[in-house]
Amino acid sequence: MPTALSPERPRTGVTRLTGGRLVKGDRLVEEDLWISSVTGRILRSQEVFYEHFVIPDETIDLKNKILCPGFIDVQFNGAFGFDFSTVPEDLTDYQKGLKRFNRHLVRTGVTSYLPTLPSQNADVYHKVLRYLAPSGGSRNALEGSESLGAHCEGPFISPTKNGIHSLEVLQEAPNGFADLETCYGAGNLNHPAEESRSPVTMITAAPEIHGISTCIPEVTKRGIRFAIGHTEASYEEASEAIHLGATMITHLFNAMRPLHHRNPGIFGVLGKAEGRERPYFGVISDGIHLHPTTVKIAWNAHPEGFILVTDAQYTAGLPDGVYPWTNNDRWVKKGHLLTREGSDTIAGSSATLIECVSNFWAWSHASIPEVIRAVTATPAEMLGLKGVKGTLDADADADLVVLDAVEDAEGNRTLKVEQVWKFGMLVSDAADESFGL
Amino acid sequence: MRLIIRDDKATASQYIADYIISRIKSFAPTPEKPFVLGLPTGSSPEGIYKNLVAAHKNGDTSFKNVVTFNMDEYVGIAREHPESYHSFMYKHFFSHVDVDPANINILNGNAPDLEEECIAYEEKIKRAGGIELFLGGIGPDGHIAFNEPGSSLRSRTRVKTLAYDTIIANSRFFGNDLNKVPKMALTVGVQTVMDAREVLIIITGAHKALALQKCIEGGISHMWTLSALQMHPHAMIVVDEDATLELQVKTVKYFKSIEQVANSQGFGQALESPELVLKKRDSVLEKLDSPKSPTASKAFLAPPKPSLVRQITPELVPDSMHERTPDTPTMGLDGLEAKDVPIQAMHERVNTAPAA
Repeated sequence: MPTALSPERPRTGVTRLTGGRLVKGDRLVEEDLWISSVTGRILRSQEVFYEHFVIPDETIDLKNKILCPGFIDVQFNGAFGFDFSTVPEDLTDYQKGLKRFNRHLVRTGVTSYLPTLPSQNADVYHKVLRYLAPSGGSRNALEGSESLGAHCEGPFISPTKNGIHSLEVLQEAPNGFADLETCYGAGNLNHPAEESRSPVTMITAAPEIHGISTCIPEVTKRGIRFAIGHTEASYEEASEAIHLGATMITHLFNAMRPLHHRNPGIFGVLGKAEGRERPYFGVISDGIHLHPTTVKIAWNAHPEGFILVTDAQYTAGLPDGVYPWTNNDRWVKKGHLLTREGSDTIAGSSATLIECVSNFWAWSHASIPEVIRAVTATPAEMLGLKGVKGTLDADADADLVVLDAVEDAEGNRTLKVEQVWKFGMLVSDAADESFGL
Repeated sequence: MRLIIRDDKATASQYIADYIISRIKSFAPTPEKPFVLGLPTGSSPEGIYKNLVAAHKNGDTSFKNVVTFNMDEYVGIAREHPESYHSFMYKHFFSHVDVDPANINILNGNAPDLEEECIAYEEKIKRAGGIELFLGGIGPDGHIAFNEPGSSLRSRTRVKTLAYDTIIANSRFFGNDLNKVPKMALTVGVQTVMDAREVLIIITGAHKALALQKCIEGGISHMWTLSALQMHPHAMIVVDEDATLELQVKTVKYFKSIEQVANSQGFGQALESPELVLKKRDSVLEKLDSPKSPTASKAFLAPPKPSLVRQITPELVPDSMHERTPDTPTMGLDGLEAKDVPIQAMHERVNTAPAA
């Protein structure tokens, strides 16, 4: 007798997302995405279908919303009251706070990030870096957002471009890489031969600081990204640093010399002809750090290198007021504006990444895939995670964001996070506030 | 044969999609009795799939209890290759509907033993109870599936070398590089298609007009393999106006009038379910087997009236005396007349007091 299979089948952890517009490359395509909460990855759906006869446990209609990879923030100092560089008496509090923070952060659409430490004394690095190491090894969606390793912003930076970094802790590296090892802790920097990823993923430093330029090949040899930032470097010095292996510019325009038509400064390297000479660069589009048109110029100069970052401080998501910080500093938060008490120096932002993405979409003529790319595929590429993060291609991690793109009659554009998926599991849903981690 | 002519490709595709949906609906498939559907690939069926998917999304139809068999697949290209028929079916149909992947059958062009694969395919069709409805398209040379001109009209599922024309036609899908086009394919045979209970063919476009003419106005010929359809008891071809360009006006008018008359009489083109046909046949057999007796309805078949005879004078019958007294009502007996004894079941009269 002919038989069709009965509808009761074992669950496979496979979810099919249908009816959405997928950000793939530079296009929005209408197709289905199959993901697995078992492997935490995006499936080769056709293969799974024909080879393993898999029927999804659940089919979710995205109702024409945008489906894109989860956001990656490569410069992120803290939020919701948790600061990566504030070391409590008891380090288990730090661990607990970090766990809570990760679950909170994932709801904003940031599914992975580089916890960033502004210039600190060596003992801070020695204490906390190990907790900030890449945390996705367990592939557990319930842990929330995933650290891709720490970003050490300083202390080998220019004292004249220190921003809010405390002058007392800034250093030079007369002994070359040995000074970096002493500062961050040798165990926190990968051995060149080792395969595993060290707690430190990226270092921002000023190439003109004594001893730093010789360190660049040593840093990159260990699989750590070298970013130019907080620097007085000229166009020539920046070009030399890139030649030595620097691949990133930390918050372009901020804490560096501006563009002058006879002395183009760091921004000038984006004008280079050859692709490999043009670095990736971070841009803070919170509406405070940079004028919208500056953001657009940077994007037009080198769209493939353009990465949106928040540079958010722990006050992001907290009410306005005066907040203490490390090295006896205090900050004043007024809306998105965060300054050092008693000065006009901007102390990082209080914006979320989706707000920065939304701003950039509103200001520019960039298409949605081009906008999304700046917080997904481009940072993933910069970190050497192409095909793993920041893409909807098969076999990549199923970190996903469902966006609602609204364009009203007056042309105002806003993007809103509707759903967040981490490792193939729904972890946040705007339609149901009570749901989630 | 039924030939349905529609204005353009879109309406022809819609007609077929609606037809398939109504066939599945009236078949009422269950897991024990699935609807077995033969499916083609190609540009003509693409529109049909689009309509079927739309109908599924509207909730008009379900493919849960549908078993599918595809016509053909290339030999030697990867299953995930964008031009493989696996990919075509996945992209245009299977990924959008609720068909169970375990119920899908597509020939495997990468099987270690291709001959074995073909034999197994025929056997699978047989075990599924045969194909209820085979949907197909044709090539400009009248080939159905990959049964190129010259294929036996009795052919079964087998490995087939593609005709030069077909390779050229397909090269547009392989970067116009003839070397990349597969030269062989696995395909169901003409007879495999003919064995289906119903065959439904879509032919659209002027470039297929000659093929249509050869297949329905010409004789049965292995050079136009679809012409074998002339021997099929339940075949339907749905075409657009362009495809009729080579047909005689008489042919076109005839088939159009068939459809019109059928519609005016209130019956469509649908083939009734096998159960209904069997039931009808049974009742016919019953009638045939019952003893024959003339029907009495016609007046002239009634027994003849008795012939006229002379009337006999009736005898005098004296009436009884009491009948002549006046009929006066009896007084004082109202309500005392004996009533009908209520009819009771015997058991109600039995004493059913429970035993203490």
